[in-house]
Amino acid sequence: MVRSLCIRNALRLATVVAAGTLTATALAACGSSTPAQVGSATSGNITWWGWTPQTNVGQQYIAAFNKQYPNIKVTYKQVATASYDAAIKPALASSVGPDVFDMAPGGGIGSVQLYSGSAVDLAPVVKAKVGPNWKSDIAPIGLKGLTVNGKVDALSVGSTYAGSIWINPGLFSKAGVTPPKTLDQWISDCKTFASKGITCFEQGAGDNGFNQDMLHAIADSIHPGLWSEAVAGKAKWTNPDLVKAMTVFKSMFSDGIFQKGALGVQQYPDVNNDFLAGKTAMVMMGTWYMQYSTADGAAAAVSAAGVSGAKPFPMVAIPFPSITSANNPAPLFGDADYGVAVNVKSKQQKAAETFVTWLGTNAKAQQVVADSLNDISSLKSVAPDWSSIKVVDQSTQEAALKTLIASTSNVSEARLGDVGTALGQAIGDALQAVGTGQQTPSAAMAQLQSSSGQ
Amino acid sequence: MTIASAPARRRAGKRGGLDRPAATGHRRSGFRPAGYAWILPALVLSVGLIYYSIGYTGYISTLSWNGTSPDPTQVGLHNFTQLFSDHVFWLAAQHTIISFVATFVIQTVLGVVLAVMLHSRPWAGVLYKIVLFVPVVLAPAITAPVFRQIFAANGPLNALLQHVGLGAIAVPWLAQPGTSLMAIIAISIWQWTGMTFILYYAAMGQIDPEVLEAAELDGAGNVRKLVSIVWPSLRGTTIALLTLSAIGSLKTFDIPWLVTVGGPDYSTEFFGTMIYRQSIILSQVGYGAAISVMVILLALVMGVAINVRPWRSRAAAGAS
Repeated sequence: MVRSLCIRNALRLATVVAAGTLTATALAACGSSTPAQVGSATSGNITWWGWTPQTNVGQQYIAAFNKQYPNIKVTYKQVATASYDAAIKPALASSVGPDVFDMAPGGGIGSVQLYSGSAVDLAPVVKAKVGPNWKSDIAPIGLKGLTVNGKVDALSVGSTYAGSIWINPGLFSKAGVTPPKTLDQWISDCKTFASKGITCFEQGAGDNGFNQDMLHAIADSIHPGLWSEAVAGKAKWTNPDLVKAMTVFKSMFSDGIFQKGALGVQQYPDVNNDFLAGKTAMVMMGTWYMQYSTADGAAAAVSAAGVSGAKPFPMVAIPFPSITSANNPAPLFGDADYGVAVNVKSKQQKAAETFVTWLGTNAKAQQVVADSLNDISSLKSVAPDWSSIKVVDQSTQEAALKTLIASTSNVSEARLGDVGTALGQAIGDALQAVGTGQQTPSAAMAQLQSSSGQ
Repeated sequence: MTIASAPARRRAGKRGGLDRPAATGHRRSGFRPAGYAWILPALVLSVGLIYYSIGYTGYISTLSWNGTSPDPTQVGLHNFTQLFSDHVFWLAAQHTIISFVATFVIQTVLGVVLAVMLHSRPWAGVLYKIVLFVPVVLAPAITAPVFRQIFAANGPLNALLQHVGLGAIAVPWLAQPGTSLMAIIAISIWQWTGMTFILYYAAMGQIDPEVLEAAELDGAGNVRKLVSIVWPSLRGTTIALLTLSAIGSLKTFDIPWLVTVGGPDYSTEFFGTMIYRQSIILSQVGYGAAISVMVILLALVMGVAINVRPWRSRAAAGAS
């Protein structure tokens, strides 16, 4: 009796283990990839995932695309910036990921370095569709950042540039101050704003990406081009001018430029919401903020941000204040904002390639991109059609926007494209350590130099 | 629950109860064939999904891999040696211990006190129970931005402190390494005290009222009854909450990530945020897996340590 009981228990246990092993094997098999099915180039249903553009802008692109390709249905899903990598990684590893997905230069979100293996080489695709000289009309800065080892992983939809400051002119009028042109004036303006109970400048210092932009702009103002040399390993992070830049960054916490508690604030959504709600006079954002110059764009952003009662105002960009008496020209630096790539596992690869090629190289598509003011067009020949763009205040904003866009044509310094993931983290660590007072600027830059491995 | 077979039922009927020993004198086996049929699906899912995932994570922890490359590099235990020399790992460990001790102690005190108060049947007691439990069911994604506003330098908390004359402690809570962890712990306590309260409330309901009445007749006051009768009776619940708090602290992620992103300067970094940062943002999936393996091992050690026999004996004594 006891022996038969033991045998029965052993058999039961063996059954359970076998069932578990079979399940585990089945689960492992689920992860294997299936061959891509190419589909048709002029019809099909494709999905597109990206952290940008905003949903309404994405729908504009799709509507314009469908005028030329009515039988290709594109479903765009905007994934929150902070969640994009967590969502796209398993999606691309599976066989049911998006057909088209965003990628960006550098080691940050949607890193082309990371996802290159999941993307179709678009060079032969575009060459076949557009012609052998297709690269001649593409802005080089857009192409460069999305090409890895000669493989064009994504086509730039447009470029963005950072290094500018966006202001709320109404708050400046209310405080009776003028936009700052120098660091001293910036400090003085902020004192005046503070005395009037207005937030002068908001920095999401909890967000290392935007801290990096700030440090980059300060460094360029002190010693143009030195930042890029340090990133490339041709200059040391302990260079006195870079240490000075970090010292200026630190001083912004104490001299009233950064708001109190900046390290506990995120650029998105906190700073973005406060600026769009009219609570803050200045923020450091890039050319992607142009889209909020339009009445529709601003209203959509405010609504998406859940800010109640806010009304669009005529925001404009100003050059970054000069940090030293040398008064170096205000720097802009940028890359392709994002590119669209075709998933190697897409079952509608041909339709996806049609959409991507259209969005990245077609003049009509790029006109939509340029007119939405989210990005600077990836085609050299395309500029915004101001007759069709309704900004909040045409008299003040159109000229400022034209000046801003014109100033990007000479930019050759990358923003994120040459900063790898590890270096970006090391720069962020240095900024946080200085901001919290845990390290002096010189010690932080010494540690950055050590961490950079250069 | 098992269903006895017909012969067993006949034997039970003759002898007057299923709990009497069989005629052979051997103890009846607790296994019934029908039991496995009920638990097999869940067991298969558990073994297949959870333990397979743990095993695969262990394998990945021996790789240098970005999560997408088809050619990961085998590095053996390198990720673990790197982990032990990573100051952020030790910071996360420190924060986990502090968070565990603070949240467990404060939640236990609050849970017991609130349960005692609500056992006195105040007016609108049901409403109080609901209010206390609501934070437990709120999603961190909703509460995190709200708390970022509350703890902001010019937020409502500081406004309240200034209003009551405590402006000296109205600091930017989330922007300073010295106070950011306190803020995260406060949010966790706010979120989970309701769970502690409900469990203690239920446990107190099991205490025989006659024991309390007898103590009262003997002259014991409320505090004496709480300390000498109620608290010892709650030992089993306390041990269970201790285990849950320990494991919960090890896997803390949502609140620190959504409120402070583990900052400023890693001052609110936990194992969960470190795993996410390494695996997703820095694409160091192998290293993130190594941290995960360490968390599993720590959870096992803590679970065993908390549930060893001496504790269980005292819990059994307290419950009887």
